[in-house]
Amino acid sequence: MVSRAKIKELMNESACSHSKDKKPGEGCDKPKPGLAAGGCAFDGAQISLFPYADAVHLVHGPQTCLGASWETRETKTSFTGRDHTQMGFTTGITTNDVIFGGDKRLASSIDYVMEHYKPEAIFVYSTCVTALVGDDIDMTCKLGSEKYSVPIVPVHAAGFVGSKNLGSRLAGEAVLEHLIGTKEPEFTTAYDINLIGDYNVTGDMWQYLPLFEKIGIRVLSSMSGDGRVGDIRTAHRAKLNVIVCAKSLITLTRKMQEQYAIPWISVSFYGKRDTSFAIREIVTALGCPELMARAEAVIAEAEAELETALIPYRKMFAGKKAVLNTGGNKAWSIASGLQDLGIEVVATSVAKSTQDDIDKAREYLGENGVLMTKPASEQGKIIDSTGAHILLAGGRSLYTAIKKKISFIDVNQEKKTSYGGYGGLLNLAEDLKYAFKNPVFANVGKPAPWEV
Amino acid sequence: MEFSLTHKEHKPLQVNPIKHSQPMGATLAFLGVKDCMPLMHGAQGCASYTKVFFTRHFNEPIAVRNTSVSDITAVLDGGDYSILMAIENIQSKEKNIKPSMIGLHTTGLTETKGDDVRGVGMHIEIPYVFVNTPDYEGGMDSGWALTVTAMIEQLTLSATDVKSNKLVLLPHLSMQPIEVEKIKALCEDFGFETYALPDLSTSLDGYWEEAQGKLSNGGITVEEIRSLATCATVISIGQSMKKSALALQKKNPAIEHLHFDHLMGLDSNDNFVAQLMKIRHTQPKPLIKRWRARLQDAMLDSHFLIGSSHFVITGEPDMLVGMCALIRSVGGTIEAAVSTTFSDALHTIEAENVFVGDLEDARRFFDKVDMVISNFHAERILHSYHDTALVIRGFPNYEELGNQLKNDQLYEGSTYFLFEIANALRKVKHEH
Repeated sequence: MVSRAKIKELMNESACSHSKDKKPGEGCDKPKPGLAAGGCAFDGAQISLFPYADAVHLVHGPQTCLGASWETRETKTSFTGRDHTQMGFTTGITTNDVIFGGDKRLASSIDYVMEHYKPEAIFVYSTCVTALVGDDIDMTCKLGSEKYSVPIVPVHAAGFVGSKNLGSRLAGEAVLEHLIGTKEPEFTTAYDINLIGDYNVTGDMWQYLPLFEKIGIRVLSSMSGDGRVGDIRTAHRAKLNVIVCAKSLITLTRKMQEQYAIPWISVSFYGKRDTSFAIREIVTALGCPELMARAEAVIAEAEAELETALIPYRKMFAGKKAVLNTGGNKAWSIASGLQDLGIEVVATSVAKSTQDDIDKAREYLGENGVLMTKPASEQGKIIDSTGAHILLAGGRSLYTAIKKKISFIDVNQEKKTSYGGYGGLLNLAEDLKYAFKNPVFANVGKPAPWEV
Repeated sequence: MEFSLTHKEHKPLQVNPIKHSQPMGATLAFLGVKDCMPLMHGAQGCASYTKVFFTRHFNEPIAVRNTSVSDITAVLDGGDYSILMAIENIQSKEKNIKPSMIGLHTTGLTETKGDDVRGVGMHIEIPYVFVNTPDYEGGMDSGWALTVTAMIEQLTLSATDVKSNKLVLLPHLSMQPIEVEKIKALCEDFGFETYALPDLSTSLDGYWEEAQGKLSNGGITVEEIRSLATCATVISIGQSMKKSALALQKKNPAIEHLHFDHLMGLDSNDNFVAQLMKIRHTQPKPLIKRWRARLQDAMLDSHFLIGSSHFVITGEPDMLVGMCALIRSVGGTIEAAVSTTFSDALHTIEAENVFVGDLEDARRFFDKVDMVISNFHAERILHSYHDTALVIRGFPNYEELGNQLKNDQLYEGSTYFLFEIANALRKVKHEH
């Protein structure tokens, strides 16, 4: 079981910038009845661990938890075996299990999985119902691990303990407790890093990993994009933890610093400037002058290549202005990408951003940029006053684009291509090119014959 | 492994499940009531998953709220706090939101702790319908049906008289919005004043308008549900909906109940039209007759391709029964009909194997067949079967567009369905 003390500790993460404004003991916000629309802790835990394609992810709970969530995320893997990430495994408990306990069913399910799929590990997720009826998941997993000699890791992130973010932290705890430090790497180098918090959605990681290879940075393990369970077990030997765009796993990196003296940095790979900055941060942290020199050469080459590829786009986008209405770090990361393409970002939304994100947004947009706190009511006026050509927002803002007859990109829609790294910028440019050319938003809103 | 049709599970887990949960069926049913606010009583993830699931299937905003039960309220609260707080919070944050009804449905979590969701209703001024839908029982189809029954039992006023041409349809879960619309239209052609409960045909039919739904956008109104007991006829479509029809008859024994297991293929539609003709003492409109003739022609045109083909079909029981009947009527061989949940109606399916299972089970038959009819999840698995065609039906269909406008019902929809599968078969069978 997960203890209340652990949850309290995770909610009060000292390394988290959110905690600065809170009174001691107050911690992260709890979901409020009726208002919270986001995912639950189980959701967050799944997102953080599911990309381990060599492990089976067994959800011990009733039907909603897995039935509605499997095969919903485009997390890519290079694993050549069976990709368990895109499969669904659930005990799908029934009334009997609620009354008499689901431990037996779980144990038989573990047997079934080991017999038929032989994974490198099994993650067993507890859920609200199995946590509430008190199934002894820890014991069942322990017995299973002993029986099959593979890690069977209990993940205690039942939905009702909190938000998606807390679930990611709990997944981090499970990995730290059961996997990290349980195996030695075959060899180590002075430039071994762990990538934390990139899930390789649409292959984001593959945009920048080839550069790492050129520079000589080795990714020892990943939590968890394109990750392998065997590798994360050796993570304690890395020289540096690199968190990618994820605040939720700060607790993991802080604890790894305490336990294994591994320092950590937080970076983003959206847009040209951020990608270059991220690479410099990593090699600086690794502290080898030779590596830094190689990184500079690689950055220079990649940037030059990108600049050449971007010439036709820059011509096309010259003088274009954009309004951006999205949440969290996208408020500045997409803005940064747009600016790299020569588009002026006249406004961005900071309605759901942390102070860090707001500061960054200000830095990128400059003094004249508008930071919208009520984007729904502000964006229309800003489009009028600035003559913006495109709105990048969620589906709910579609009507604004149609009314203003300007282009639109749904930034919350499931992406099919990656916007990460230098190469991702070209994908973004390509999407923007088609968005600017598309007349649909002007066409679709024409009055009907019976309205004129 | 031998598969047989029983209530018993044949393994301890599901691998690549096709089954979906009761609360999700309940949410969808409430979305067919105008200005309803579906409120899921559970941890926030249940509603979040449900919202994403239907948003991606229908490509429409989905209005569902939740009570965000936490580990503390799970133990200390009997439901009153989280349900009432949810309603209060929503109303204080969104002042202009005026739900016609609150559709409260429970989840595994709140059923395990045993909340008194009936009692809470006494403190709520807005019309309130509750339904117990633990997700460790039944499936999406039973959640949908229980919700329809709950709305009838809790909202519909008893009556003794009926209006002779008033009719209500109770469509099963798997019917897409356009299918409900087409069946309504056919009944209206016979001169019936027609309602559907729930009515997704005017709420999730994918139409563009300025307002973004914070409540269910369209559907049957609460007033119309209240007065359903004056219908002369209730038509249940799908075995799962029979009980709901009986609940309506209890409100007025004078209501005549017609039941159809499905409306796919010539036989069932002949029966359906014959029954309507009998009630209204009238001939069908010319277009209905024309569509029957077109279906006859489609059956002849497609019988060679389909008749020499083998199928695996997965889905909710009521959908399976209809599809299997139509495919059998033109000679297709059904190697396996894999159902999400158990239903007596499954006994009527003519197939080599009929059982309750998942895609791991269904896959055992993929080698032997020309076509799989299944949901989105079969697509990736079929990448390694180059000679097997796929037609996507049932929930969820995350990637294809226009799901709400796919019509497989009546003479017309059956015709299109036969052509669609015959054309898909042609690609794998003849193009080598």
